[in-house]
Parts: sequence; structure tokens; C-alpha cells
Amino acid sequence: MASARNLDMSWRRFLRHRLALVSLVVLVTMAILIAFAPAIETGLGLDAEEVDLFARLAAPNPIHWLGTDELGRDLMLRLLHGGQISLFVGISAALASALIGSVLGLISGYHGGRIDAAVMRFADGVISLPLLPLLIVLAAVDPVKLGFPEAVAMSESFSVYRIIAIITLVSWPTVARLARAATLSIRHRTFVEAARAQGFGATRIMLRHILPNAASPILTAATLTVGNVILVESVLSFLGLGVQPPVPSWGNMLTGAQDLISEAPALAVWPGVLIFLTVIAFNLLGDGLQVALDPRHPTARGDSS
Amino acid sequence: MTVRRLLSVLVTVIVVWAGNATIAQARDRLVIGINQFPSTLNPIIDSMLVKSFVLAMARRSVSSIGNDWESFCQLCTELATFESGRAEAFDLLDDDGKQTGKKGVRARFTLRDDIFWGDGVPVTTRDFVFTWHVGRHPETGVADLRSFQDITNIEVQDDKTFTIVSRKLDYRYYALNGFQLLPFHLEQKAFSVPREYRSRTLYETDPTNPGLYNGPYRITEVMPGSYIVLKRNAHWRGKRPTFDEIQVRTIEKTAALEANLLSGAIDYIAGEAGLSLDQALAFEKRHGAEYQIIHKPGLIYEHIDLMLDNPILADIRVRRALVHAIDRQAISDRLFAGKQPVAHGSVHPLDWIYDPDIPKYVYDPDRAKVLLDEAGWSVMNEGVRHNAAGQPLRLEIVTTAGNRVRELVEQVLQSYWKRVGIAVRIRNQPARVLFGETISKRKFTGLAMFAWLSAPESLPRTTLHSDSIPTKANNWAGQNYTGFKNAEMDRLIDAVEIELDREKRGALWGEIQRIYAEYLPAIPLYFRTDTFILPKWLKGVRPTGHFVTTTNWIEEWRVE
Amino acid sequence: MVGFIVSRLTQSALVLLVMSFLIYVLLGLMPGDPIDLMIGADPDVTAEDVARLKALQGVDRPIMERYANWLERVLVGDLGYSRLFSRPVLEVLVPRLAHSLVLMVVALVLSLAIAIPIGIYAARWPGSWTDQLINLVCFAGVSIPPFWLALLLILLFAVGLGVFPASGMATVSDGGLLDRAHYMVLPVLTLAFAGIAGYTRHTRAAMIEVMREDYVRTARSKGVAEYKVVWKHALRNALLPVVTISALDFGSLFSGALVTETMFAWLGMGKTIYDAVMGNDYNLALAGLLLATVVTLAANILADISYALLDPRITYRVERRG
Repeated sequence: MASARNLDMSWRRFLRHRLALVSLVVLVTMAILIAFAPAIETGLGLDAEEVDLFARLAAPNPIHWLGTDELGRDLMLRLLHGGQISLFVGISAALASALIGSVLGLISGYHGGRIDAAVMRFADGVISLPLLPLLIVLAAVDPVKLGFPEAVAMSESFSVYRIIAIITLVSWPTVARLARAATLSIRHRTFVEAARAQGFGATRIMLRHILPNAASPILTAATLTVGNVILVESVLSFLGLGVQPPVPSWGNMLTGAQDLISEAPALAVWPGVLIFLTVIAFNLLGDGLQVALDPRHPTARGDSS
Repeated sequence: MTVRRLLSVLVTVIVVWAGNATIAQARDRLVIGINQFPSTLNPIIDSMLVKSFVLAMARRSVSSIGNDWESFCQLCTELATFESGRAEAFDLLDDDGKQTGKKGVRARFTLRDDIFWGDGVPVTTRDFVFTWHVGRHPETGVADLRSFQDITNIEVQDDKTFTIVSRKLDYRYYALNGFQLLPFHLEQKAFSVPREYRSRTLYETDPTNPGLYNGPYRITEVMPGSYIVLKRNAHWRGKRPTFDEIQVRTIEKTAALEANLLSGAIDYIAGEAGLSLDQALAFEKRHGAEYQIIHKPGLIYEHIDLMLDNPILADIRVRRALVHAIDRQAISDRLFAGKQPVAHGSVHPLDWIYDPDIPKYVYDPDRAKVLLDEAGWSVMNEGVRHNAAGQPLRLEIVTTAGNRVRELVEQVLQSYWKRVGIAVRIRNQPARVLFGETISKRKFTGLAMFAWLSAPESLPRTTLHSDSIPTKANNWAGQNYTGFKNAEMDRLIDAVEIELDREKRGALWGEIQRIYAEYLPAIPLYFRTDTFILPKWLKGVRPTGHFVTTTNWIEEWRVE
Repeated sequence: MVGFIVSRLTQSALVLLVMSFLIYVLLGLMPGDPIDLMIGADPDVTAEDVARLKALQGVDRPIMERYANWLERVLVGDLGYSRLFSRPVLEVLVPRLAHSLVLMVVALVLSLAIAIPIGIYAARWPGSWTDQLINLVCFAGVSIPPFWLALLLILLFAVGLGVFPASGMATVSDGGLLDRAHYMVLPVLTLAFAGIAGYTRHTRAAMIEVMREDYVRTARSKGVAEYKVVWKHALRNALLPVVTISALDFGSLFSGALVTETMFAWLGMGKTIYDAVMGNDYNLALAGLLLATVVTLAANILADISYALLDPRITYRVERRG
């Protein structure tokens, strides 16, 4: 197999996609900043949770680089902490749906027949559901009645995990379809048949031989999902069903700030801009990956005219 | 000279007249913005603030509470006090005809003869009796059945006069505050099947029927969820209201509500159901000069219930330390520009029963630390106090998720408590969970922040009497969520209810407030302030500070 | 074909039944019923009041029993009463359904009207700087939080410039067509924004693909005028996936306009469902959710049928739609 050369070509194609490249740089920078939030916090000698009623809504100054929020907390640190949560939610949900989707898609595509029909009908069913209203119902359900232990259901970060779970529940079918399609297209290729002839088990064939070849659409879909999830989280926060304060997320920071938009526009501008930037970066990155990994894709440029 | 003067006078007159004319033309309609739409327009099903707000323009209760916080007659001629000879107490007998030791009361009311339904039919005793029948029927589905059922009989004297026989004699015997009448001639058909009254009432099926209203306005158009239009009631004999038409528009998002005011789509944001205080303050900062802004502290008592079953909180020293550790004045000053007065007890300072001499807990973190040390929470470990057994001083606070102001205050309090070594964790829940389960079934383990909407001289029987602690056995009845048990408090509540002498009652009220402040079953925070944002030309809107809305006096509103 | 439709219909009916049960149970898992909520705010409501009201509204019985009762009544066409509005559910839903449809259709038509020409334009010279710019703007369009966009539009056009009303559906008691249109501008813009971005990308992608097809190359090489190639030969084929995708979107848009509806106080389906869920209005929430599901399913079936009818490569295309 010429996978090394393929990878190299993909990488070159990716490098040609300037927007995707810029997005990657933006995202990496953001991730680094967020990862070093605690260090920045100690470095500046500030505490992101320290309330100071006498320094509410301060303008940017040498101590608070972006000013303070409505409780006198440092806005920059809050944004970094919020970013931690937003990115965590986005990436976790994307990974979880990629995982579930790939497994089901692989099984479905490899085995075909009844299993395939059942999984795919189920996926169709989920896709055809009205998404947002369903999310509302799920977010409003009492976790204790669902059987979660009270201690878990009442912890501060439960809302974070709930959002991840809910979004995963509705976004896996997309990945499953892609994984299945990829599996279908290669399950009768010679190297798969050869592996089967050697008597390898189905699981091993799926993981070793099919998955690597189905990886590109899954990766692309997962990247695009991250952006979507961050957007959905902000919408749920807007409806009061997202991540709950005091845990900050860009979504709930933005929602909280819109009431004060005329007095302190910066409070609403920053999280809004960050959401926007992150989502668009993930989308462009996904676009870049698509072009790079699938040269036949219609958005690939430069070879038709 | 004279000609010129005459001319200038003439010009002035014309200008003023023309100016007034245009104002009058532009101002024959008032558009009010509120943040919620009433779920029903039927006056006796469900109690809801926005419903009272709208209905007070279109119908009046028999008696009500005025700006001076005293009862007064609206549909009746005078209150039924003992002094006026309209009321008399009697001994209650049980089924066997023996004395029960309790007293009932007979109170005679006369309806005014200048009150008419919007279709010209006079309001009579018939309407009163009918309303009583509807209200006391268990299948109708009114919220507050007891108050209807406490009336055991109504003796009809004539078309306008009747005597109410009540099995309960308490200090509120002389008035029928908030008692709304239903028009017998229209509603009797809907009540023929009591179980279906709720859905068949004309207030739902034909809400623009003029005969349903007896106030200065009547409802002429309803767009559910969006707006309600009211026009003058031709049969209203009271003071003629200024506006031909009132529109009440519902805009739930307060940011959009504000935008509508600024764009001129609405004239006035009602304080009763308008912007939250921090938003209103931000608005005032930017646009205060263009509007009249009235801040009025109301009867909404924000407080934190303390779960007294929790061994940590059972210790009164810890409870006191919790209050000493927080600077409520600073919160009020910084977050609410001092517009939201700090509460030192559950009784509003404007209420006549308020006792200014009750113990107050000032901000004193050192005192808090001493109290905590005394209570055995003396070992500091990673910023959190521990007791000798190594147990950390950790508590949880719950409040309604999505209520921005509460969430803010909560985070401030958390920060204050952290400074004295109390670790408080926030876990908020939607209102439905909080009130439906956590608080009402006493499932909170530490602190619960919410509000009581009360009335002037409101008896705290359901909130402080030890019989009112909700348990599974009593089907979660009562609202003494903290589990406060105090024999003296029980005695005082029983005594104050039947004490008719105002002065003696005042003394009992003082005692109740003293015990409350001393034992602290709850941390008083503040009385919530409503902000009314009015256009400069609208005069006569007088917030009451209690639950009766400004619209109950809409005929006093005028344009200047 | 008939077999295909019949099987899709049966499948949809099954999804609907499962959904109704799921939603019913989920709603039952929501804590606190309306009566509990009522006592939360009013210290004068007693235990007897609570028990009586619960029995009256039937919320004291087990959930399976209530579901069976509900289903039985729905099958004979009785959707019950809305608790929040004290009206029969259909009486509440039908006007709101109409409001939603008006908003959606206008937004959809506007989006397509703008997106298709832009998409074609971008596809003419893929990789050019205009194409890249359009591409970037489109990505921006789908990346902006919708309520944020709504807020900006309100601040700009309603508060700042004062040219459009900030929210509402019509001037009270007026209701002329022009007046209503005036109120519709901002919500339609908000909805159309993401739509334009999405459809432009789809149009562009489809056009590029079609332009590569042999028959287009043939037409070109035969010297057919370029505008004719684009508008006559390519567009017809390129539009197919776009129209199908818009049909699919319509279903989700229909119930997903919640944010727009909330910001602009537009009384549509999304808002109604949200209010019903949050206000514990069982009957209304159920009916609303099921109606939304029906519309979504119907849109799906239509999309599939149009594909099956018009495109021989159906299986391939469906897999690729992500």
C-alpha cells in the first residue's frame, strides 16, 4: 500500500487550503492558551472565581487585560475557563458520536443483511426526528428519575456531561452512514478478502483493515461536528438548558451578557466572537480535510477549469 | 404694541392648543409591555401576577388594599367591621351542637348600586352567591379552595346586601380583599358541568364579551401569547379613564422588551412584570433622562431557607455566622445601586406590623469566624474549615436556574463565605424542579434561595408553624421547608390569628419577628424592587409596594 | 415506486408511534408538575388543595395508564386540552402552525433566491478569489450563533435605525398585509442568513460537479454559448440536490426556528413546543412534538421520492449527504 505517499499528498493538498491552515493555527493557539489558563492565572496573580463587587464591569486595564465582568471577575480568565468547557463539550461530543457512529457503521456495512437494515432504519429514525424540540425535552428531564444517583445528578458539572450525552445521542447517525458507506465500498476489495481467507475474525478485519480506510470521512465529519456542538451548546444556553452557572461556557457567558448588552457590550462581544471564530475554524478545517483526504470531492479546486 | 401683544398671545394659544391637540391625539392609546402572558383570563382560576395586572383594568374585586396598605371597599359600600355594626362574632358549634371554643363571624356587605357589568346588567348579590358556588366546588379547579369553603353560608338580604357566615374569625374578617365576582347571567351555563367549567368559562371561549367586565375598561381583543387590547367600558360609572385604548403586549425576552421601548413600539414597561433590576439599572444609566423611572421595593421577600435537619445548620452559631459573613448592604449597593433594601426579617418595613427593634446582623466576618470557632469548626485545611472529627464545613446552595439576578447574588455569597472558610457549592435547578421537588419535598441539604410573595400583615402559619413542616405522611403539606420547630412561635401564630385588637396584635407580631430574627430559620436577603419605566408624559402611576398592581387605579393615570 | 412509498409510510408511522411513547415517558420524567409549581409561589395553597387539583387534572395516576388513555383519545381525534392556554390543543396549534409555515416558506424562498445565483457564480471559477470570499462568507453564515445574530439585527435595525419593529407579528388590531410584512423582515432575515450560506455551498458544489460531467463538456466543445451551458444544461441537474436538501431542511427548520421565534416574539411552533415543555403542558407538548415529527418525516419522504424519481444514482447520493 502507498499510504505514506497518500498521506504526503493529502498533507500537500491541505497546505494549499490556506483558510484551513489559518484555522488550524487559530485553533492550536486557542487550545494552548486554554490549556495554560491555570498558569496564566497564577502568573497574573488573579483568581477567576474571585468576586469583587467594587470592580464590576471595569474597562480593560493593566491588571485585567480585557476588563471585568458583572461581578468583578477577570473577563479574560473567565473566557479561558469558558473555552475549556466549550471545547471540552464540543470535542467530547464529537468523539463520542464518531466512536458510536463508526462502530455501528462498520458493523452495519460489514455484515449487511438484517443487522444493516436494523441499524440503518434506526439511524434514519433518529435523523428524521425534530432535533431542537427533542433536545429541549431531553435537557428538561429529571436525571434522578432516569436512574442517575442523586450525587451525580446534582454535581456542578452534571449539566456539562448531560449536554455531551444529548448531543451524542442525536449526532451519531451521520457518522454511522459515512462509515457504512466507506465500509461497503471496500469490503470486497482484495486485501479484505485476503484477510478473510486467512481466517481472521470479523472484529480484527474491521479494525485492522477497514477502519483505516474509512477514517477520512469519519475524521472530516467529526471535525465538522465539533463546531456544530459548540453552536448547539450556545443555543441551549440561550434557552436556559445549557451548561449551568457558575461553570462558565462561552454559551452561557454570552447568554448572561445579552441583558447588559447596552451597558457592557464587551461582555457579549467576546464570547460571541470566540464562539464564532471557533466554529468557523472547525468548519474550515473540516472543509480542508475533506479536500485533502478526498481529491474527488467537488469542493476540491483547480482541476476542473 | 397691543396688537403685537394680542398677536403673540394668540400665537401662543394656538401653538399650545395645537400642541396639546397633537399630544392628545397621539396619547389616546397607551401601550404597556409585560414579560409574560396570562394563562387564563378567568379571575378565580389560578393566581398569577400578570393576570391580576391585566384584569385590574377591566374588573375590580369586592375590596382591595390601597396605597396606604389598608383595606378599602371597591364594589362594596363599607367594610364590615364590628364598629360599623356590620359584623358579629358567634361561637362555633360542632355537629353535636357542643361548643368548640372557636369563633366564627357573620359579616354583612352591601354592593354599590353604581357598578355594572359591561353589558349594562347591574352587579348584584346573585353574582356573589354564584361566585361562591363556583369557587367552593371541588371540581372547578380554583387554586385557593379553602377561602371559599371557609364561608359556610351566605344569607341574602336583597339584591345588593348579603351576610357572609364564616367558620373562621381572624383579623382579616372585615374585608373581601381580592374577592372577584363572576357574572351570573353569563357564566351560569358554563358552570352547569363543574368539572368542565375551566374550559367552558366565557373568559376562555368568549373573552371579549363585554358582560364579563365591571371595571373602567373591557377586553376587546385577545391574541394569545402576544397582546390584549382593552377599550373603555361604557357602563363604568367611576372616574373616566384618560385613555381610549390600552394595549398590553407580551414580550418575554427582556432584551427585546427594552428594544421595543426604545424603538417606541411600547410606551411603558410595567414594573410588576418587566425588566430585572440589574437590567433596569443599566437602562437607567443610559436612558434615565428620557424616561421616568420609579423603583419600588415590594412584598417579594428574597431569602435563603436553611435546612435545619442538617446537623451543621442545626447549630444556631453556624446560622448566625453565615449571616455575619455576608455583606448584604454592599450587594444591595453595588449590584442594585442601593435600590433593593436589605431585609432583616420577613416583614416588610412598610407593613404596619413591622418592628424596627428586631435584632439585625451586620457584616462582621470576624464575628463570623469567632462563631464558627466556637461551634467547633476551627481547623483550617486548604481554605475550608473542618471540625475535630475532620468533617469539612461544606454546604450546598440551590436556586432557580436561569434567574440571572439570583445566580449573580449566589456567586457573590459563595465568594463571601469562602473568605471565612465555608465552602458552598452551587447546584441550581429549573424552577419546576426546584419548587416541584427539591424545596417542596425538603430535598435540599443546605441552603435554598427563593422568594415569598406575601400580603400585608400576612400570617406565617404555613411557613413557620411546626404543623406546617412538609412530610411524606402529610402529603408534603405546608411550606415550613426549613423544618423550624419553636413552641413559642407556634403559640404566637395561633394567638395572633384570632387577636382582633390591633394594638395587642402589634405586640404579638413584634414577638414573632424577634423570634424569627433570633433563631434564623432563614437568611433574609432583601425585598425585591420593581422598576417602572414610564414615559415622561404619563402621570398618576403609583406603585403600591404590595401585590395589588398599579392598574387597579388606572383611571388615575393621565397625560401631562 | 409504490412499494417504496408504502414501506416509507409504514416506517414513518412506526417512528411516529415510538416517538409518541418516548416523548410521553420523557415528559413524565420531567420533575415537578404544574400544581407543585403553583404551591411554590403561594403560601396559602394547602395540601388538600394540591391533592384535589392533582386528582382533577389526572396527574396522580401511573404514567402507562395515562399514555394508554391519551393514545386512545388521540386515535379518535381528541388531542385534549392545553393547560397553559386553557383551550383545545388544536385550537392553539393550528394558528401557530400557520405562523410558522409563513415564516419558513418566506425565509426558504428568499434563501434559495439569493443562494442559487451566488452559488452558480462561485462555481463558474472555482478557486478564484471571489469564490474563496463567497466560501468564507458562507462559512461565517453557518457559524454565527443565531440568537446573537438576532440580537445584532434588533440593535441595528430596530433600536439604532428604527426602520423595523423589534418584535411581534403585527400592529395590534391592524393586520394589513404590508404591516405584517414589515414585522416579518427581521425574523426572516435571521432565518435566511444560515439558509443562504448553506444553499450557496450546496449549489456551488453541485454546479462544479455537474460542470465536470461529460455532456457539459460535450456541449461546450460543440460551441454552445456559455450562458446556455450554465443555465440550460447544468443548472437543471445541479438544482436537484439543492431542492431536495431544502426539502429535508424544511422539516428541521420548521421546529428549529425556536430561537428566532423567541427573540422576535413570533408565535410559531418552536416557541409553542418550548413553552409547553417548560410549562408542563403535556397535551400541547405532545401534540406539538408529534406534529413537528410528522412534518419532518413528510419532508424526508418527499425528499426521498424526488431523489428516487429524478436521480438514478439515488443510493450514492443519500449516503453522501452528511
